[in-house]
Amino acid sequence: MGVTCVSQMPVAEGKSVQQTVELLTRKLEMLGAEKQGTFCVDCETYHTAASTLGSQGQTGKLMYVMHNSEYPLSCFALFENGPCLIADTNFDVLMVKLKGFFQSAKASKIETRGTRYQYCDFLVKVGTVTMGPSARGISVEVEYGPCVVASDCWSLLLEFLQSFLGSHTPGAPAVFGNRHDAVYGPADTMVQYMELFNKIRKQQQVPVAGIR
Amino acid sequence: MSGVRAVRISIESACEKQVHEVGLDGTETYLPPLSMSQNLARLAQRIDFSQGSGSEEEEAAGTEGDAQDWPGAGSSVDQDDEEGVVKFQPSLWPWDSVRNNLRSALTEMCVLYDVLSIVRDKKFMTLDPVSQDALPPKQNPQTLQLISKKKSLAGAAQILLKGAERLTKSVTENQENKLQRDFNSELLRLRQHWKLRKVGDKILGDLSYRSAGSLFPHHGTFEVIKNTDLDLDKKIPEDYCPLDVQIPSDLEGSAYIKVSIQKQAPDIGDLGTVNLFKRPLPKSKPGSPHWQTKLEAAQNVLLCKEIFAQLSREAVQIKSQIPHIVVKNQIISQPFPSLQLSISLCHSSNDKKSQKFATEKQCPEDHLYVLEHNLHLLIREFHKQTLSSIMMPHPASAPFGHKRMRLSGPQAFDKNEINSLQSSEGLLEKIIKQAKHIFLRSRAAATIDSLASRIEDPQIQAHWSNINDVYESSVKVLITSQGYEQICKSIQLQLNIGVEQIRVVHRDGRVITLSYQEQELQDFLLSQFVMDLKVAARLWFSFLVTNVKTFQKVMFYKITNGVIFVGHSKKFSGIKWKVEILFIKWSCLCLHLALVYYDFFQMFPKDVSKNFDLKCLQINYKHKEEITSKRVLFLKIIIRKCLFSTLKLFTL
Repeated sequence: MGVTCVSQMPVAEGKSVQQTVELLTRKLEMLGAEKQGTFCVDCETYHTAASTLGSQGQTGKLMYVMHNSEYPLSCFALFENGPCLIADTNFDVLMVKLKGFFQSAKASKIETRGTRYQYCDFLVKVGTVTMGPSARGISVEVEYGPCVVASDCWSLLLEFLQSFLGSHTPGAPAVFGNRHDAVYGPADTMVQYMELFNKIRKQQQVPVAGIR
Repeated sequence: MSGVRAVRISIESACEKQVHEVGLDGTETYLPPLSMSQNLARLAQRIDFSQGSGSEEEEAAGTEGDAQDWPGAGSSVDQDDEEGVVKFQPSLWPWDSVRNNLRSALTEMCVLYDVLSIVRDKKFMTLDPVSQDALPPKQNPQTLQLISKKKSLAGAAQILLKGAERLTKSVTENQENKLQRDFNSELLRLRQHWKLRKVGDKILGDLSYRSAGSLFPHHGTFEVIKNTDLDLDKKIPEDYCPLDVQIPSDLEGSAYIKVSIQKQAPDIGDLGTVNLFKRPLPKSKPGSPHWQTKLEAAQNVLLCKEIFAQLSREAVQIKSQIPHIVVKNQIISQPFPSLQLSISLCHSSNDKKSQKFATEKQCPEDHLYVLEHNLHLLIREFHKQTLSSIMMPHPASAPFGHKRMRLSGPQAFDKNEINSLQSSEGLLEKIIKQAKHIFLRSRAAATIDSLASRIEDPQIQAHWSNINDVYESSVKVLITSQGYEQICKSIQLQLNIGVEQIRVVHRDGRVITLSYQEQELQDFLLSQFVMDLKVAARLWFSFLVTNVKTFQKVMFYKITNGVIFVGHSKKFSGIKWKVEILFIKWSCLCLHLALVYYDFFQMFPKDVSKNFDLKCLQINYKHKEEITSKRVLFLKIIIRKCLFSTLKLFTL
C-alpha cells in the first residue's frame, strides 16, 4: 500500500467520456505502462433512519459503504468527516440487518470501472465513473508503491501526473494536508474516492450535455 | 369312743377385768370392761394406715396403752383434753386418727393419680424401666464357658482355613498361568504407545496417521493376538513375548522413498525398473519389544505410500511445461534439460525370496537423503495444517480459514499479500524446486573447485555461508594474487544461488544474473580472473614505467614475491643496459597495448574474447621474477599475439 492520489480528469472538449479515456490509456501505453487487468470502486449511500433522529430534528448523517477491487476481501464504511471503518465483506450483510437504523438511498449507487496499468513502481488506474446507466466522469488514481509517507513522495507523484495528465494535474489532496507525516493507508484512498464521487454527483447536468 | 363319755367343755374368755387399783386391804378395783363402741374405737385407733399389717399391732400396742390409760373416753373428757393438748389428742375423738390417716391416704392417692395421669401423657414425665440384672444362670457356669470357648475357636479356625485355601489357590494359579499375567502387562505396554480398542472379542489397533491429520484412505488397523503356542514343559525362550501383532499384508516389510538426480537423458525403456535395494532396517532401541519395531516399520511403509500417492496425484494433475512421467512406482521429471529427477517408492517385503535379489545392489550413491527427509517433513507439515487450530476460528462467528486470511478483510490486504498467504504449491513442486537448488549449488561448488585447482595464479577462495534456505544459498568468492592481496581486494563476489539462477553481486555494486548453465558461471569467473591479472599486471608495469626514468640509479632489480629489490650491480652498465632499457620500455608499451586490446575485446561477445588467450598474460605474469633474456622472447610472443588478434578483429 503506497501513497495514492485520486483525481478527476475533465472530459475533453467535443469528445465523449469514452474517447477521453481512450486518449489517456493510449498515452500511458506509449509511456511504457503494462496493462494488468481491470479495477472497480463502488460506493453506496446510507442515511440514518428518521426514527432514530431526535425530536430536535438533527440532520441525518450520511454513511458511505465502499468496495475496492484492490482490496477484494475488504469493505469500507465512512462518514463525511468522520472515521473510516475497514471491515470484512460480511459488513454488507450486516447493513441489511441494520435496516432500521440506516436506510439506503437507492438511486445513489456510484461506481468507477476501468483498466489498471503498472509502470515500474507506479500503479495507474483510469476509470469511467458511472451512476446507473450513464457515465458521469473520469477518475484517475495513481499509486506510488514504495513510499507510505505522503509528504515524502508528493513531489514525485506530481511530476508523474504531469507527464501524462498535462494541464489537468490536480493539487495536493485534502487527506495529505491533515497528516503529512503519518503513514498512508487504504482508508485515505477511500476518502479521496468518496470526495470525488460527491463532486461528480453534484456536477450532474454537465456531462449529460457533453455526451451529445 | 363309746366308752368315753362326752365331756362338756366350756370355754370362756379370759376376759378378766383389768385391775385398776389394789386397795390397801387387798381389794381389787376392777376396770369396767369396754363397751362395744369403746372397743371399736380402741381398735380403730390402733389402725396405722402408714404401715403394713405387721406393724399395726406394735403401733396399736402403743396407742392401746394410751387409750387404756384413759378408759371411758366420755367420762374423763376434760382431763383427756388437757392431757391430749399436752401430748397429742388421741381421745378427743377416737376416729380422728382414722380420719387423719384416711385423709393422708387420700392425699397420697390423689398425688399418685396425678403422677400417673402425667406419666400417661408422656409429655413431662416418662416411665423408664430400671435395668435389671440378668438372672444368674441357674445352670452350672463352668460348662457354659467351655461350650462358648469351643464355638469361638471353631469360628476362628474357619476363617483361617478359608484364607489358607485362597493362598494356596493363588500360588498354584501363579505357577500355572504365569504367562496369562504377562499378556496383560505386555498389553499395557502396548497401550502406552499405540491406540487400541476392543471390538467384540478382538483387540484392534490403529497405526495410521489419521489422528495426526492425514487424509490417506488406508485403514491402518492391526490386530493384537495372544501367543498361546507355548509348551509349559519346555523351557521358555528368552525373547518370548506373549503378545503378537498382526499387521495388514500390504504394509509388511520396509519402505523408503528414493530421490535421485541423474544426468543422462531418460531412456524410455528404462522406466519402471528402479534398482531397489533393501536398506538395512534402522536399528531399534535395544529395550524395545519386537512388536514396536514391527509396528513402526509398518507405519513408515504407510507414510511412504502416502507421500508417493500425493506426489503421483500432483504429477498427473498439475500442468507444467515439461510433463512429469509416472510409471509404476517411479515419478520422473526434468527440472533442467538433460537432468532427470526420479522419485521412487522402494518397498521391499520381508520374504526370504526377495532378500536374495536385494543384496545384489548395495550402493545408493545418487540417493539424496536430504530430499527424502524433506519429503517426510513436508507431508507432516501438510498433516499439521489440516489439524491445526489456526483453521478453527476465534470467535466462533468468524469465517473458516487461515487466521491471517480472516484478518485480510479488516486490514485491507491487497492481492499480492493475499496470494502470499495462500500457499498454492504442492508437494511435488516444492521438492522439484529443492532438487533444482541442490543441483545448482553442487554444480557451482564443483565449478569453483575445478577452477581453483586448474588455475594456480590468481587464487580463488570461496567462503560458503553456513545458514542457508531450502531455496537459496550464498557463497562469497575472493580472487586474489599472491603478493598483491591488498591491491586486488576489489575482486569480491557474492554469489546467491537460487532455484534457477545465480545472482552475482560485485563489490562495486554491479548485479549480474547468470542462468543455470554451468558454462556461464565458469566464463564469468574466468573473466574475473583476468580482471585480477590486469590489475596486478598494470600495477607492476606501471611501477616499471615510472621507474625507467630513474633507472640509471637502479642497477639491477630483482622481484621476489612481489617485492622489488633495488640494488647496484656492475653487470648492468653501458650500451647493453641501454638496450635493455629500450626493450623494457617497448615491452611495457606492448603490454599496455595488449591490455587495451583486451579491454576492447570485452565489449564484444564472449566467443571473440575467448580467442584472446589468457595464458599469454599468465605466462608473462608468472615469469616476471626471471630476469633473463627469455623475457625478450616472451615479449615477442605477446607482440605477435596482439598483432594476430588485432588482425582477427579487423577481419570480422
